Amino acid sequence: MRTALLFVCCAACAGLGARSALAAPYYVTVAGLGGEPDYEQRFTALAKDLDKIFKAASSDAHVYTLTGGDSTKAHLTDTLSQIAREAKPEDEFILIMIGHGSYDGEVYKFNLPGPDISGEDLAILCDRIPAKRQLIVNTTSASGGSIGALQKAGRIVIAATKTGTEKNATVFARYWVDALRDGSADVDKNEAISALEAFQFADRKTAEFYASQKRLATEHAVIEDTGKKEAVRTTSAENGEGSLAASFVLLRIGAAQKAANDPAKRAMLDKKEEIERKIDLLKYQKAAMSADDYKKQLSDALLELARVQEELDK
Amino acid sequence: MTSRGTRRLARIFFNAAVCVACLAGASFGWSATPDDCHALRKHGHRLEAEKCYESLTASRDPYLRAEGFWGTEQYQEANNQFRIAADESPKNAMIRVRWGRLMHERFNNTEADNLFNEALQRDPKNAQAYYGLALVSADGFDSKAIEYTSKAIELDAKLYEAHELMASLLLEDSDDAKAFAEADAALKISPEALDAMAIHAAIELLADRSPDAWLEKIRQINPTYGEGYALVADHLVLNRRYEDGLAYYRKAIEADPKLWSARAQLGINLMRIGQEDEPRKQLEMCYENGYRNEETVNSLRLLDSYKNFVTFKDGEIILKFNKKEADLLHPYFEEEMKRIIATYDKKYKMTLPAPVQVEVYPDHEDFAVRTMGMPGLGALGVTFGEVIAMDSPSGRPPGEFHWASTLWHEMSHVYILTATNFRVPRWFTEGLAVHEETEVSPEWGDRITPDVVAAIRDKKLLPVAELDRGFIRPEYPNQVIVSYYQAGRICDYIKERWGADKLLDMVHSYAAHKTTPDVIRADLGMAPEDFDKQFLDWLDKDVGKTVSNFDEWRTKLKDVAAQAKNKNYDVVLKEGEEARSLYPDYVYPANPYEFMAQADIAKGDKPAAVAILTAYEKIGGHNPPALKQLASLEEELGKPADAAATLERLNYVYPVDEELHRHLGDLWFAQNNFRGAIREYNAVIAMSPIDKASAQFNLARAYLAAGQKDKAEDHVLASLEAAPDFRPAQKLLLQLKDSNEGK
Repeated sequence: MRTALLFVCCAACAGLGARSALAAPYYVTVAGLGGEPDYEQRFTALAKDLDKIFKAASSDAHVYTLTGGDSTKAHLTDTLSQIAREAKPEDEFILIMIGHGSYDGEVYKFNLPGPDISGEDLAILCDRIPAKRQLIVNTTSASGGSIGALQKAGRIVIAATKTGTEKNATVFARYWVDALRDGSADVDKNEAISALEAFQFADRKTAEFYASQKRLATEHAVIEDTGKKEAVRTTSAENGEGSLAASFVLLRIGAAQKAANDPAKRAMLDKKEEIERKIDLLKYQKAAMSADDYKKQLSDALLELARVQEELDK
Repeated sequence: MTSRGTRRLARIFFNAAVCVACLAGASFGWSATPDDCHALRKHGHRLEAEKCYESLTASRDPYLRAEGFWGTEQYQEANNQFRIAADESPKNAMIRVRWGRLMHERFNNTEADNLFNEALQRDPKNAQAYYGLALVSADGFDSKAIEYTSKAIELDAKLYEAHELMASLLLEDSDDAKAFAEADAALKISPEALDAMAIHAAIELLADRSPDAWLEKIRQINPTYGEGYALVADHLVLNRRYEDGLAYYRKAIEADPKLWSARAQLGINLMRIGQEDEPRKQLEMCYENGYRNEETVNSLRLLDSYKNFVTFKDGEIILKFNKKEADLLHPYFEEEMKRIIATYDKKYKMTLPAPVQVEVYPDHEDFAVRTMGMPGLGALGVTFGEVIAMDSPSGRPPGEFHWASTLWHEMSHVYILTATNFRVPRWFTEGLAVHEETEVSPEWGDRITPDVVAAIRDKKLLPVAELDRGFIRPEYPNQVIVSYYQAGRICDYIKERWGADKLLDMVHSYAAHKTTPDVIRADLGMAPEDFDKQFLDWLDKDVGKTVSNFDEWRTKLKDVAAQAKNKNYDVVLKEGEEARSLYPDYVYPANPYEFMAQADIAKGDKPAAVAILTAYEKIGGHNPPALKQLASLEEELGKPADAAATLERLNYVYPVDEELHRHLGDLWFAQNNFRGAIREYNAVIAMSPIDKASAQFNLARAYLAAGQKDKAEDHVLASLEAAPDFRPAQKLLLQLKDSNEGK
């Protein structure tokens, strides 16, 4: 119950303004070396899908997409260096890596045309970016091997594989993209897909893929957002993971932001937040309440919230 | 090995003249031999036999020690002593034969097989080694069992055990007359051939005659010979007479409470008829007493896993699902079971005397445990009287099987086994069950596979009178599948030529215990040989073109696949059509229909893609991605009713698909089929979707549209509980409240 409360609160906060009006997201998507035509085509297509999604979502977003021959180490370095120069601390930085990776027991490398780039080199480049809130999504094979190098306070690291030894090609990227184009990933319906929601969606769909194909799962996605702990398969209050990811808006899919920025509606928004907190508290207390009492109180609160929202929408 | 030891070993097998009366009560101060001990045991002198075996354990000869330890159930030590004996006498074949027999008795058929073959390397004319190989093969219903047994008899005509085994194998093949003769042959060699007597008893029982005379003969020789009853029970179970079989397993353990093999079979067969408590007790007793063969251990594991299952009872239907998918599957299975019972009650003109239990296993290995020790594939479902065990749709990759078709198939067995009181040959009940699959819908059931086409081409179909052999003891890898197909088509043929009532007449004839030749003569009015000929002529008219053009079709299909890869779409369409006309039933992976549909789509001809995918659907194709694509195209072309019907078909193939239910729910909702929409949206919720709020909201609006406001309110609250800010649900809640307040 405590876990649910923590994440509901965080998600609600995120919906109302975790990203300030002046903040801009920097999206960098890199499709690495495919090695064979099928993979090359698949990686490029996924990167291009993300490019479209990010560009459509926000006019102030900075979107960089590197595919095919463009996704060299030099080009990636240049792109990240440029963002390091331009971005402000209140901005958000999102790096998504699609392709193959390798891990030799010590060093993770993202396979790119020409020289590969190591997890450590990537970390150095990302560390230079002043954005205080960062998200790195490494969907490659062996990506679990990159977590140690990439993790940092204020940065969420998501990897498609639990360790560097899960070396088979992954399908996580496909479902990560699906998470961003499928409204069902927005489970709290706050019209924003958080990093945690996208992670949970992609992880679930990946597991379903292997289960339906009756194949032994060769990838187990993990997440780490404290900057100092072991990455986990499932976030919870107990393991302390997920708080930052729940509040990190990866993509807005509705008009929530407009209302948040309208001073005329501030009082109504305050009222709405108050009811939301009340609902969270009710849900937290559910186990200790009779079913009828819970239903009545929840029903009343939800109705009240709906009426406030109706006013806000006018 | 010492020369004395070798002589003793020889005596075990060749000296039949043992004075049992003299041995009983002997103190074994003198040197006993293994066959002295075996003879005591065979005659039921247990204590004396045990002392006899104990005396062997003190021998200086490792081989004799091995026999002694084996006889006193110290199997590990017996194995060690056999190893020593074999090392000391590397050229001795008989030690390896006996060692192999120990391995066979202790559930290690791989090692047993190796040892019998090693024995044959040392002595190529060793009848006992061939007999050992036959025992191993017989365990797996391998057709080689008969070949090895014949060889053993050829090499040693006096080996009565081989004649006993041959009698049992022939009885498994339903060749009662030859089984009878072989049992007699064994008794002629040894008037104390107990298993031969048991085979005679089984023949009598299977023919609904009294087995008492034969059982009494067994008791006179050895009143504790439980193996005889167990052998009878094995044959009853093989003929699906589970209750009768259970009674004989009980007699077996009554005669010999330590006969763990029979006790394990009692437990396993009690499980098959749906019991849990007694099977656990019996199987645990076996396990605790060291009887830990694969069947026993796996059955106990399966019993443990039942805590993860949930049972639904509704009148005559008992459904058992794994908890993780119970909510999803229950409505579909229950609805289908009701439809099946209503159809079969009318068709077979009978009602079932007891509820039917259907167990649905998401883990194929659990299902496999339920079918262990049974002949044939047992691949998708199996019926044990009034209990059906089957794979869950989630137990196999999407599209690999049609669960509803399987359920109709198994339920046909339930009716036919009940109608005939289990007196029906395997070929007929399987054939009728296969026939029923396409009777429900011509789109259901399996189509003729390339293996079957090849079998017809190579003239491998069996005469109807011998068709059971194809199920019990296949002689080539796919003969079971070929036999299913043949049996099904025979029933199709009978219905087409004589009408459906003729099939029912045959059911009644089998119930009256007629043989297949008699049934063919009496009900169809012709000799079985004439029936075979006329059936093949009929079959040829249906599939003859496919059979005669099989090689050309293969070449063409290969080319279609290559052309599709190279995106030569016009060629794909032309050659795909040619391949399709040669073998229209080929709907399996890499079929022309899907290649052609992709070519049509690539060329932008969506109506043509719909046409070819519809043809695929109608002829029995049920690959989920292809059918989903068809539904999607039908929607695009403004045919939502067709799209919904296509997706509805997928529910019978692979309902473990959240997106399928959501989309079908939307389609039904848009077409005002609110009952359908409610069922589908409930299925979404049963799959614990990531997006709980939308799932609950969709269900709420479907309930509201269906006029069930209370349920609509419950589900809209559930939606908002998951996502309080979900605008559509908020609006629906306000709408509900306003309407309650009369606004």
